[in-house]
Amino acid sequence: MLLRGIDRAAFAVSFANRLRGAGVLAGLTEIDDLVRALGVHPPDSRRALYWTARIALVRRESDLVAFDRVFEDVFTDAAPLPLNRSAAGPAGHRDDVHVPVPAGGDGVAGGGLPWATRPPVVAEAETGDESGLFLPQLRPSAIEALADRPFEELDPAETAALGEVLRRELTRWPTRRTRRHAPDSTGRRIALRATISRARRTAWEPVTIVRERPRRRPRRVVMLCDVSESMRAQATAYLHLMRAFATVTPAEVFAFATGLTRLTPALSRRSAEDAIAQATAAVTDRFGGTRIATNVTALLRSHHGNAVRGALVVIASDGWDSDPAAELAAAMARLSRRAHAVLWLNPRAGTPGFTPAVAAMAAALPYCTGLLPAATFHDLFAAARAMSFSSTGSRGPMGGSGSR
Amino acid sequence: MNDPQEVARRLDAADYLVDDGLAMAVFLALRLGKPLLLEGEPGVGKTAAAKALAQALGTTLIRLQCYEGLTAGEALYEWNYQRQLLAIRLAEARHERLGDDDLFTAEFLQERAILKAVRYDGPTPPVLLIDEIDRADDEFEALLFEFLGEASVTVPELGTFTAVRPPVVVLTSNRSRDLHDALRRRCLYHWIEFPAAGRAAEIVRRAVPGASAPLIASATEFIGRVRALDLDKAPGLAETIDWVSALAALGATELAPAEALHTLGTIAKTPDDRLVVAGAVHQEIA
Repeated sequence: MLLRGIDRAAFAVSFANRLRGAGVLAGLTEIDDLVRALGVHPPDSRRALYWTARIALVRRESDLVAFDRVFEDVFTDAAPLPLNRSAAGPAGHRDDVHVPVPAGGDGVAGGGLPWATRPPVVAEAETGDESGLFLPQLRPSAIEALADRPFEELDPAETAALGEVLRRELTRWPTRRTRRHAPDSTGRRIALRATISRARRTAWEPVTIVRERPRRRPRRVVMLCDVSESMRAQATAYLHLMRAFATVTPAEVFAFATGLTRLTPALSRRSAEDAIAQATAAVTDRFGGTRIATNVTALLRSHHGNAVRGALVVIASDGWDSDPAAELAAAMARLSRRAHAVLWLNPRAGTPGFTPAVAAMAAALPYCTGLLPAATFHDLFAAARAMSFSSTGSRGPMGGSGSR
Repeated sequence: MNDPQEVARRLDAADYLVDDGLAMAVFLALRLGKPLLLEGEPGVGKTAAAKALAQALGTTLIRLQCYEGLTAGEALYEWNYQRQLLAIRLAEARHERLGDDDLFTAEFLQERAILKAVRYDGPTPPVLLIDEIDRADDEFEALLFEFLGEASVTVPELGTFTAVRPPVVVLTSNRSRDLHDALRRRCLYHWIEFPAAGRAAEIVRRAVPGASAPLIASATEFIGRVRALDLDKAPGLAETIDWVSALAALGATELAPAEALHTLGTIAKTPDDRLVVAGAVHQEIA
């Protein structure tokens, strides 16, 4: 018999504290479960204790690695564990951050996306008016001028300011129909429950017919950002774009160079500096080579591959790929079948006379719904706007079939 | 059931083999009266666990398959509007008066899976399987909280139904989206790993009694190697069982390339995977 004569509550609380220090969310409910579990089945071996503690305290698969380490640390003579949250390892990979979902307004149908063309320069009145509203510390013209400069000429503070503007710019989203219904006078379907309850007031004669229509939800956005050497100048700006996605919509954000890193938890933090710092720390292979095809395939294969289904996929890369172009074409074909729309942001696409001549870019293009330039913040604003006005219903104008 | 070993024995008798972890999880879920949330790759036997548990407890299995747009009307209860209207018309024809109390009674309540589990009046509490909870949208999770926490369902017109003997609740998830912390807090959690080759062979032997031992051993070992390859959808236990059944149906007693290639559709589910697995067959099975 293990742990004979110990105070079960004290044991459970201190063990859960150890776990919390390592980033496992073990609260009072879990502690209570552990105390009761130890009561109903006092562990007779280390293995039994392990399973009792794991089942009572761990509530998500991503916490298992941290739990195993803490358990090893407590019950064997292992190397001490760094007991703070910022420690590298599983704590950083927790994927339980819930992104706030705004009540997404119905997007406007149509609009379409520019195809390898530079979007018209935004009229000064439009952006100036908006930025005047939410960024009092910078005059509209200053923001306006900054937004036109290429990323590599901006200093970190300016990038951060523009990132904030971008975050606020993103308010509208393409939506999808859900299978839930909400009352709506123009709906086609009759809401039986509501109609009958109304009928109670009129002697059970259904006088008022309540109608309903399917509710719409913002589509998920999945962003894949190239952080390799050739994208060094753009990477930070794209991190801001990714952060904008992660804070305003249900979004999944990944960074890739040679390997794929999930940044969603890191980027959905409130403070921009924290988020960018954490994301930068999470990406270990920043500024190495690029393997687009391998990483797209890896994304589709992982359990996050389901997140792509019906989502708006944004790939930000210059298209310099060290994988064979045929592999990228196959990966992109699968991606485009699964996604609602695939947009490619290319920093070089804005230069006059740009043609997608890089082998990987040429291979990927037929499977993209749109190729958008992304060399300045202005481009990013335009891209964000193009995305938010992309089609709302079934695979209509953005279906991609036209471009194949 | 008094200890995890007995749980393992009883599930074994129901032809479901468990490891220490799952036995402990089921035991604690039964003893603490908490719902059990099972996660794992597709095809490791999450749904089968609930079925086997119902069989081992000798009780009925009530299954709620989740899908997007699932609402209270399909999961908890619904008023039978048609019958209510008919009752009103009948009462009018007989010149009787009907009040709310006459219309909102248990007679007009259509029980759906969860209310059925709460009001179940058999000798042993039923097993309620809420399958693939990640497929329902997150609003639905909130609907479950009252039931998962207190094993009760509130019908505003009638009152609260509380289970006399709380049902055994098993939730499964394929992790196509993250479940909310509030849901996880109310459940015990177990992550089912893909079993090692030896135990996988034992499970397949139970599931396909007609297959020969050498066939099962080589097939599970082959699957173990295939799972290490670069596949879009690595074959799980369910696929292994399908494959061995297919091979056994073809009369194979050993793993031979010809039959293996013919039945590849049971383990490789995309054209790309098919190519990779076919390559492995050529290489590994002489």
